[in-house]
Amino acid sequence: MANDPLSQTFAALADPTRRAILVRLAQGQATVNEVAEPFEMSLQAVSKHLKALEAAGLISRGHDAQYRPCHFEPAPLEAASSWITTNQRVWTERFDQLEQHLKRMRHDQKKEKE
Amino acid sequence: MMNDAPTELGELTITRIFEARPKVVFECMTTPAHLTHFWGPVGTSTPLEGITVEPRPGGRFETVMVNDETGDKYPMRGVFVEFDPPRTFSFTEADVAGGMTTSIVFNDLGDGRTETVTHQTNVPQMLMSPEAQAGLETSFVKFDAYLATL
Repeated sequence: MANDPLSQTFAALADPTRRAILVRLAQGQATVNEVAEPFEMSLQAVSKHLKALEAAGLISRGHDAQYRPCHFEPAPLEAASSWITTNQRVWTERFDQLEQHLKRMRHDQKKEKE
Repeated sequence: MMNDAPTELGELTITRIFEARPKVVFECMTTPAHLTHFWGPVGTSTPLEGITVEPRPGGRFETVMVNDETGDKYPMRGVFVEFDPPRTFSFTEADVAGGMTTSIVFNDLGDGRTETVTHQTNVPQMLMSPEAQAGLETSFVKFDAYLATL
């Protein structure tokens, strides 16, 4: 598995439970117990998901040894989102220009025939 | 004409129709002398000397886009997976987002026009689980809406 930040973000987001956890944390910080509440899984399983999200930089944990509340960190998502947008823009503009190029080619061919 | 839709998070499909036959469009997309005229997006250029096309599976497909203002260079290092003119070609870029594959299919519309369907899978590892794919778009839309409020 690739280790670049973008791949880590996408890999962390590939799991539906982790996305649900992020949606919850996007509304405000929460403890592991609070995060686990809506899910039918063990605290241990939820902790594992939180660790994966933390490794991808999508959440941070507080230092309070007892509660360690989880915070949503939007930066990696912004990077992923902006990468997708930029990539889409590049291809769209590339094809716009190919269209112009084909037009010029047709124009030149016409001229040659005249 | 175009119809852009982010099909899944990290995937992209762009459908376009060009006023030329598949042979011509395919040639434009795979010939350096043509590519130099349109490959770089607005604000960049793609000098001919930076373009390498080895038209066969396993061959190199490389370009260097140069920012017109700053001179910054954006190299692309691809390797052809398929090369089947004028029907389709695909290439992988090992150094982008953990390995990205782009495939372009050229459909003959029979009236002198060509429909191209460009499909990119950016993040192969997230495609390993089918259930991981389901609902990705929905949550991405949600996150996008959230990010817009920041």
